[in-house]
Amino acid sequence: MTSGRLQIGPAELEVLRRPSTRPGAPTLLLLHGINNISPAAPFLDLLAAHGEVVAPSHPGFGKSPGPGDRDTMYDLVHLYRGVLDALPAEKVTLIGFSFGGWIAAELAAGGHPKLARLVLVDSFGIKLGGREERDFPHLFNTNPAELTRRAWHDPANCPPGSYGIGWHTAIGDAMSDEEMVVLARNWDSLCLYAWRPHLYNPQLGHWLHRIDVPTLVLWGAGDRIVTPDYGRAYAGLIPAAQFEAIEAAGHHPELERPQAFVDAVVRFLGKDAGKAASP
Amino acid sequence: MELWNHCENPYPFVPNEVLEEAESVRASLPNRYCDPRIVARLYDEVFDEYRLCDDLGLHIVTNEHHAGINNLWAANPVITGVVANITKKARILSLGTLITVRPDPVRIAEEYATIDILSKGRLEIGFVKSGATEMVSGDANPMRIREREWEAIDLIEKTLTTQDGPFSWEGKFFTHPHVNIWPRPYQQPRPDFWAATSDLPTCAELGRRGMVNTLLFGGYDRTRQAFDAYKKARAEAGLPPPGEDRFSYMAFAYVGDTDEEGLRIGQKIAWFLTVSIKSAPQFSKFQPGAVAPEMAPAAWRTGAARRPRPTNLDAEVLVGQGQMFAGNPDTVARQIKEFRTRVGGICHIIMMTRQGLVTHAEAEASFTRAARDVLPQLRDLPPVDGDETAWLARREAAAE
Repeated sequence: MTSGRLQIGPAELEVLRRPSTRPGAPTLLLLHGINNISPAAPFLDLLAAHGEVVAPSHPGFGKSPGPGDRDTMYDLVHLYRGVLDALPAEKVTLIGFSFGGWIAAELAAGGHPKLARLVLVDSFGIKLGGREERDFPHLFNTNPAELTRRAWHDPANCPPGSYGIGWHTAIGDAMSDEEMVVLARNWDSLCLYAWRPHLYNPQLGHWLHRIDVPTLVLWGAGDRIVTPDYGRAYAGLIPAAQFEAIEAAGHHPELERPQAFVDAVVRFLGKDAGKAASP
Repeated sequence: MELWNHCENPYPFVPNEVLEEAESVRASLPNRYCDPRIVARLYDEVFDEYRLCDDLGLHIVTNEHHAGINNLWAANPVITGVVANITKKARILSLGTLITVRPDPVRIAEEYATIDILSKGRLEIGFVKSGATEMVSGDANPMRIREREWEAIDLIEKTLTTQDGPFSWEGKFFTHPHVNIWPRPYQQPRPDFWAATSDLPTCAELGRRGMVNTLLFGGYDRTRQAFDAYKKARAEAGLPPPGEDRFSYMAFAYVGDTDEEGLRIGQKIAWFLTVSIKSAPQFSKFQPGAVAPEMAPAAWRTGAARRPRPTNLDAEVLVGQGQMFAGNPDTVARQIKEFRTRVGGICHIIMMTRQGLVTHAEAEASFTRAARDVLPQLRDLPPVDGDETAWLARREAAAE
C-alpha cells in the first residue's frame, strides 16, 4: 500500500493507493464512510488483486486538510468529479461506503464520462420513509453504545486499526492518540457535511433514475443502522442496479466479511454491462 | 457596582429514580414529567421575584435553555417581554435567546427592538454561543457555531441600527434580501451588547467591539485571564481602556441573616451542578466540535465533559473558588469586593439565587438582604486598575 497526495483545485487530498498486479485491471475509486480507510484493512489487499485501488480521504478526514468553505455535499460531488478527471484510467469503478455511498450516488446521478460501474455499500443519501419515520438513527444524537449495537453483526469482527459507526465505544488503552485525533477530525467533518438534513438529500431520490451504469447495491444483511430494506428500495430507484446482501455482516461488510465483500464485487466486475442490469 | 438577579427557573420535581434512569436530563427526557400546572406556579413565583427586584433596585437577567429540567424559560423573548411589562426601572439583560440555534437573526432583532420599546429603553442584549444539548433540541449544527454566532451578531447589529433600509444580507450562514424592521429600538443607536464567554480569543474580540464580557462561574483565575485578554486586545488596537462597566460575572449567591444560613441555603443551589447538568456522552464529550481534535485524546481518556465543571460541591469550597458568594450581608459584600480586586475590576455581579432547591421565600429574603445590606457597601468603590498603562507594564513584567 502506498500513500500520497492528490491536488484537485485548492483541495489537497490524502490518498491510499494500491497498484494492481494484474495488467489491465480496472481502477477502483473508493469513497470512504464515516471514517477514512485504514491502510491495514484486510479488504484492501483482497480487492487489490482485482483492480487498482485509489482511496482518498475526504476533506477534513484522515490527514486531508479541512474543507474551508467547501463544506457541503455539493462541494464533495464536484471534488470527486475532479478526482475522476485526474485519474489516468479511461474507465473507473466507483465504490462508495456508507456516507461515501451517498457521495457516489450523487456523482453517478449527475453522470461522468469515466464512470463505468457503481457499487453502493450500505449507503446513506435518500429519504424513503414518511415525515415521522426515521430511515436510520441520528448518528450524532444517539448513544454510541446503541450505534455499536446496530452497526455490527459482531463488533469483534472489526479488524484492528479500522473503525466503524459506534467507534466511540472502542476508546481505550489500545487506541493511540494519533488515531483519536483522526477520529475526532472525521467526526467533526462528517458533521459539517451531514448534520441537516441528516445524511440524506431530499431531492436525490428523484434523480437516481439518471444513473446509467451497471450498479451493485451491496448490503450487510445485519445492518440495523441502514436496513437491507432501505438498500433494496435504493436499488429499485436505479435502473441498472442489482441488490445483494452479505450474511453475518452489519453496516460495514467490507470490515466484517472482507472476503465475502470482495467476492461480491469481483462477481459484479466480471459481468458485462448488459447482463448487470437485473433490478 | 450593580447587582443582578438571574433565575433559570429550574424544575426540580421529577422523581429521582427517573433522573437516575435517564441518560440525560436535558434534550431527551420526555416532557410527560413536566407538569404544566407546576410550571404555571413557578412562573408566577419568579415573576413576583422580578417585581421585588425591580422595587429593590436590583436588575434582572433572563436566558433560555431547552427541553430539560434545568430551565423553563425556553422562549426567552416572550419571557423578557413579560419582564419588561411587569417592571418599571430595572435594567433587563436577555442572556439570551440562542442565536446559534435560531435560523433568522432578523427576527431576533425584531423581538429585541420590540422588548426595548416595551421597556422604554431598559433592555440589554446578551449573546451566548450555546452548544451541547441545545444543538440537539434546536437541530443546529454544532460545528462552526462561533463563526455563526459572529455573523448573527453582525446581522442583528446592522438590523437594529440601519434606519435607511431595506438592506440585503447574503452571508455564509444567513441570507435575508430585504431587512427593514419596524419598530426600531427605543435606545439609540441600539441597546448595549453583552456576551457570555471565557474563550480568550472571543474575549479579545469583545474587547475590540466594546461589548460587556460576562463570565459564568469562572472563578478567580479564569475570570482574570478573560478580562486581561479583553483589556490587552483593546490596548493593542489603540482603543481606550475599558471601564469596569464592561465586565460582569455570574456566580451562585445566597445572602442569609447569618453566615450559617447563607451557606446552608446556598448549598441547595448545588443541585444545578449535581443533577441538572447530567448529559449523555453524545450530547457532551462526543458532540462534534466539543473539543479541538488535538485535544480529543486527553478529553476522551479522562472522560472529561466538554467543559470542566467544579467537582467539589461543598458550598464553602465553591465560595473559596470564587464561584459562590454566600454568608451574611457583610460577608457577601466582602467576598464580592475581594473578587472585584482579584479580577482587576468589575461592575456587574449576576447572582444565581433561585436555583436548585432554593424556595421562593428563601430567594425573596436573599434579594431583600442583597439590596438593603450588600449593595450599599458596593457603591462608590475606588478604582481597582485605573491606570491601564501601569497595568499592562505589570502584566508584561510578570510574563517575563
